[in-house]
Order: sequence, then structure tokens, then C-alpha cells
Amino acid sequence: MLHARKLVLAHFWVAFIAFLGALVLGAWQMYIRSPLSTWINNPEHYYRSVTAHGTVMAYVLPTLVAMGFGYAISELALKKPLIGVRWAWAGFWLVVVGTAVAAVTMASGKASVLYTFYPPMLASPFYYLGVVLVVVGSWIWVALMAINLRAWKKQNPGEPVPLAMFGNVAGAYLWAWTSLGAAIEVLVLILPASLGLTDTINAGLARVFFSWTLHAIVYFWLMPSYIAFYTIVPRAIGGRLYSDTMGRVAFVLFLVFSMPIGIHHLFADPQVGAGFKFVHAVMTAMVSVPTLLTVFTIVASVEIAGRLRGGQGMFGWLRTLPWDNPMMLAVTFSFIMLGFGGAGGIINMSYQLNETIHNTQWVTGHFHLIFAGAIVLMYFMIAYELWPQLTGCAPLSAALVKWQIWLWFVGMMILSMPWHLVGLLGMPRRMAYYDFTHPELQPQAWTVTVSAIGGFILLASGILLVYTLATARKKEGTVVAPFTFSRTAHPSAHTPVALNGFGLWVAMMIGLTIVNYGYPIVQLASLKEAYVPVIPIGSR
Amino acid sequence: MKAHDTTGWRNPWFRKSILWLIVLTVGAFLAGFVLLPSVHSDFSAKGVWASICRAAGVPADWSFGAAPRQAATATDVVLDRSMGKEGSRQAVGRGATLALNCTMCHGAQGMSTSDAPNLSGQYPEVIIKQLMDYRGGKRGSPIMVALSRNLSDADIADLAAYYAQLPKARTAPTTYDEELPALVRVGAPLRNIAPCVSCHGGIDQKFGAPWLEGMPKGYLALQLKAFRSGERGNDSEAQMRNVARTMTDAEIEDVSAFYARKAGPRTE
Repeated sequence: MLHARKLVLAHFWVAFIAFLGALVLGAWQMYIRSPLSTWINNPEHYYRSVTAHGTVMAYVLPTLVAMGFGYAISELALKKPLIGVRWAWAGFWLVVVGTAVAAVTMASGKASVLYTFYPPMLASPFYYLGVVLVVVGSWIWVALMAINLRAWKKQNPGEPVPLAMFGNVAGAYLWAWTSLGAAIEVLVLILPASLGLTDTINAGLARVFFSWTLHAIVYFWLMPSYIAFYTIVPRAIGGRLYSDTMGRVAFVLFLVFSMPIGIHHLFADPQVGAGFKFVHAVMTAMVSVPTLLTVFTIVASVEIAGRLRGGQGMFGWLRTLPWDNPMMLAVTFSFIMLGFGGAGGIINMSYQLNETIHNTQWVTGHFHLIFAGAIVLMYFMIAYELWPQLTGCAPLSAALVKWQIWLWFVGMMILSMPWHLVGLLGMPRRMAYYDFTHPELQPQAWTVTVSAIGGFILLASGILLVYTLATARKKEGTVVAPFTFSRTAHPSAHTPVALNGFGLWVAMMIGLTIVNYGYPIVQLASLKEAYVPVIPIGSR
Repeated sequence: MKAHDTTGWRNPWFRKSILWLIVLTVGAFLAGFVLLPSVHSDFSAKGVWASICRAAGVPADWSFGAAPRQAATATDVVLDRSMGKEGSRQAVGRGATLALNCTMCHGAQGMSTSDAPNLSGQYPEVIIKQLMDYRGGKRGSPIMVALSRNLSDADIADLAAYYAQLPKARTAPTTYDEELPALVRVGAPLRNIAPCVSCHGGIDQKFGAPWLEGMPKGYLALQLKAFRSGERGNDSEAQMRNVARTMTDAEIEDVSAFYARKAGPRTE
């Protein structure tokens, strides 16, 4: 039973409307730099658009989905009304106001610094203030998730925390610690320079702080989808979750290993020592472990569904799976994209192999496959699952949902596979135009056209998503079945006490961060030569 | 009570997790800081501790005792944001008096009738930097080097304040349409030439980059050729030398003619 319906619905609607806007920008970007169009006359417009697309897709959409889904999980899994609904609304409005402030600043051309806002490029202070408001709003969510879990634990001493809530709170703690790096960067280094109080900035230190946030943020984006893999997918396709404990192990491993690995984004940065780069590469390899555990567990859970439906033999269960069920399609598409994206990611994290693809279009292809593909596809499924609970509508049309996820999957593959290819050939990312008349570039021109077609397919899918959700009407006399999470295959299994709380894992997360980031931060902070003059964007 | 249900060190989950994390971390650090550097002679030449410091990124002198190579500096001027501020009325007045020395070539109101550059409306930090470079011998010109020799820093700031407040030699404003020469509009990506409008106004106006519109064509072409040959080299990061290096004579003509074009009749 959902009490905070309006709250959750507001989060999802703002997230998806912003998403649709950013999707239009993304498709336009792909078109304008493809051979289908002439060179853009003002490349600044392209970078303005990239900044807005990235800011919405990386900060606004996943934050709102994680928050909204988190509030829903808290009520549905703990079976208690949410504590602190007013605070939750305050957090929501902070995110909305922050988004609006950042959007106006970006639209007026005062913040074309791209969403990674690497110094010494500096935007108007309003852009950073907007981003800070979004983050502060999400910190209220972090606190509320911790408070709700604590209240439930008090009333149910010794009981295992429901897996969905366990993953949810792991995601919240992960985000709290992860967002600290960019928060320090913005408050201590960027805002003073952007406000004109200083005219130099420690660019090396700023990049190190941003890397603190930049990689782990990916696992914050990923948490809602992994929660859906474990606690919704097996139920939706008529199976059982193979192992509840494995889910908990995956969540706590993300907590420990997703944080202290961000320096693999700085492999080409001279200010960080080679030793630390190697250590971060090793730790990045470790973070593939929870994903591999998840793939194993979810495939095993799906196999249970196939066998319950009469599948026999080594692969016979594949045939009996409910392939007409949208969730079955979604998890399949998501895993295919996760597979390609994950394989590419192992190349990115390798200190040596990274040299070939660093800052090329390959990287854009990689994170579109993993995030925009595997993860965002599950955001859609979460919305479709929750919609009857939120609006009282009948379950959404399976045909529309299938069309939408098919388009998203096909569009994303068409968009990102050519990027991988030309990335290997050396095409740099973040370019407003390419000189396709040049004999060395001309043979690659077709790939950009293909990606643009993928971009338009994705736009069509996004429009279909919003249409499906907006036209889901409340039908007279519809009784909405209560929401349930997956049942496990071994309901009587004992949950180890270490996997029912977060103390140990949060301590390990903080300790490992200090070991892996402590020295580079202290060294760069005390290095006078690391300060460089700021370059304000659009100042004259 | 079973060990699995306790908290703290007695619980095997706690013990094993922490021990494994320590083993992993220590192993990764040993590999990254000791083992891998040991097979690179430039890391290991000065012993284990030096190679650990090197792997940690401690700044060090890499010249191994050889005399450090002193690179030629392009300019001694550090562009400070305060140079771009509007001058006081007194500064403008003093600057106007000093500017009487400049009228022979740069025109009575800073609008040149010869091939000397226009100064009216020029950004103050541009005038400050160029005069300081002439004075310090970083930019060559028999006339300007001699004239700048007797100017104090305050004189230079006053001159900059005076010229900055005069109206700009504006031509039709640069709008982004297909008629602009390609180099002005989009540069030449494969030759690493950035578009002119991304620094000299149009898309962005970078601090220290001069206002070019309405400048005499002969002056612009001469400067681009001087940058191309390396004869002029007071651009701090060689940004203009790198742009001009691969430009053809025809392109220099084209770009110079574009920026020198005369303003049409004012319509507003």
C-alpha cells in the first residue's frame, strides 16, 4: 500500500519530462554533427546542448528516479508509511529548483562547460549552485532512508531487512559518500573562482576530487536497476530469486569497491602517480565482481522460472521462458547491453589498454550502453511496475511497453556500436563537427549517420514512454493488486547479521577511500604549481 | 549464541572481510609501487624508496643532475583579471595626454589611417600586454620598442584605460552564417586551427585576445605572417604561432580581408 503516491509520482514525472527534453537535445546533437547536416555555424550551441543533455541525464534523471523509487521501496518493503514526508517534499523541491536554476544558466550560454565541468573552464556560479541544490535535495533522501530503516529495525529487532530496502539504503549511503568529492570540489575550489574571489584554481586537485564522484556515481545510478533485477524481475516472470544472500553481498561489495577507484578516469593525467593509477585499476577490476554475481544470480532465477514452466534439460528452460512478458524482454536486453558495455569497461579500466581509447568516441559508446542502455531501460520497467500503484490504473498495455523497450534496445545498439568502432580508429569525443571532406575522415562518415539514426529511434522510444505513462487511465472498478517483491527460492535461509546492517561495509568504504585517495589529495593540495589561471566561459 | 550472530571481531564475516580487504589492498600497493616500478629503469635507478616516491607522483627533478633546460619564454606578462577592469576618469585623462604621442600612426582618436592597428575600443589588457612586451623586448618593432621604453607601468595602464573607453572600430557584427570564411567560422580541425571567433569575439572573447574587427588588412596579414615565420612570438602558449604555421598565403589574405571589411551604413 502506497501512502506517499503523489510524492513518488512527482519524482517520476519530473524525471521523465526532463529526460524527454534531454533526449531531444541528444538526437539534435547526433544529427547536427553527422554528414546529414552542414557544419554547425556556432559550435558553442553544440557544447551548450551537450552540457544540458549530460546534466539532465547524469544528475537529474537518476537522482529523481533513485529518490522516488527509494520512497516507494521504503513503504512497500517495510509496509509502513514513510516517515518525514514533508522533508521528502522539501528535498524534491530543492531538486526541482536546482534543475531550473542550472537549466536557465545553461540555456543562456553561461555554463557551456560540459557536465563534467573540469576546471580551469568555469561557468557562471548559478550553474554550480543549481547542481549543488540537486545534490542537497538528494541528501535529504539519504537521511530519510536511514531514518526509516532505523525505525523499522527498532520495531522488528533481529528480523532480516527486506532485500529491496537493504539495496536501497546501500545506494543511499553510497551516494552520500560519493557525492562528497564533487561537493568539496564545487564548494572549496570552483565556487570561489567562479564568484571571482580567486583568479587561479588547482585544476589537478579539482580533477581528483571530481574523479572521486565521477565513477562511483555510476553505481548510484545502477542501484535502482539492480534492486529491480533482484526484487522485481523474478516475480514478474514467475520465477524465484535464486539467492537473497547473493543480492546482499553484491550490494555491500558495491558499497566498498565502487568508491576508491575513480582515478582510472585520470589515467592520462600527469599530476597523479602511476602507482595510484595501478591500484585504482586493480580496485576497478574488483567492482566487476558484484556485477558478475548479479548476472549469475539473476540468470539462475530466470532459469527457475523456465523450469517451473516445464523447461527440461541443459538449455530447454530457455524455450519455455515467458518471452512475451515485457519484463523478460527488458532483463534480456539489459543484460546484453550490460555484457557489451561491461566488456568495454574492462578495456577502459586497464591502465595499458586505456591508452588506445582514452577520450575517444569509444568512451561515449561505453557509458551510453551501460547507463543509458542497461540501467535506464530498467528505470522504465520500474515506472511501468509502479504506475498502477501510483495512479490506480490498470496494468499498462504490454504491447506499448514492448514496443518502447524494443525501440530503446535497438536504438541504443545502433547508436553506440558505431561509436565503439570509430573510437578504436581514434575519433575524439566531444567534437561539435568533423571535417568529412578530408580523405582520411571520409570513410568514417557513415558511422556518424548511423549513430544519428539510432538517436532518432531512441527519441521515438522516449516519446512512447511518456505517452504510455500519460495515457494510463484510471479505470472504473479497477482493483489494483497489492505490490509484491520477489520470493526467494530458499525462504528459510538464514541472513548473516553482517549482511543485515551497514556498519562494517561503510567503515570499509571510508577506510579504503582514505587509503586510495588520501595521498594524491594531500599532495596536490600542497602543490603551488598546480594552480592555473581560470578560464571563465561566456564572460565577455 | 552462534558466532555468525555476533557483531565485531568474533563474527567470521567481519574478520574475513577485513582481512581480505587488507590483503587485496596491500597486494595492489606492493605491485603498483614496488614490483612494477622495479622493471622500469627510469623508476628504479635511484633505489626502492625513490621508485616508490616516483610511483606515488611526488614531484621531483627528472634531469638527474644535468643542467635544466631553460626554455625561451614568449612573454613576461602574466595576464591578470584586474587588467581588464575599466579605468578611472583620472586614468583616462592621463592616458589621453600620453596618447598624443601615438596619434601620428594610430590616429587622433585611435583610428588608424595607415596600416598601424586601430586602438580605439581595444581591450585594456591587450594594450597593457603588448606595450609591456615591446618594452621588455618580447615583441619587435623599431618604433614601438623605442616609444615604450620610457613608459612606466602606470603610464601603460593609463593609456590602456584611455583607448578602452573610445568607441570600437565596429564593422557589421560577426554573425554566424555560411558566408564567413571557413577558418573564421569553424577553423580547420585536422590542422588544429581553432576558429577565429572562438577567441576573438563572435562565440567567445578570451581574455587577452584583441578586438580585430576593422583592423587594417595590411597589419593583420603582416602579423599572421610574422607568427607563421616565428618572427613574432609573444603569444604566451604559442597559440597564434600554432594557428598561423599551416595557413597558406591565400588563407591569410582571406581572413585579413574579412576582419578588415568596412562597416556598412549603420541601420539602428
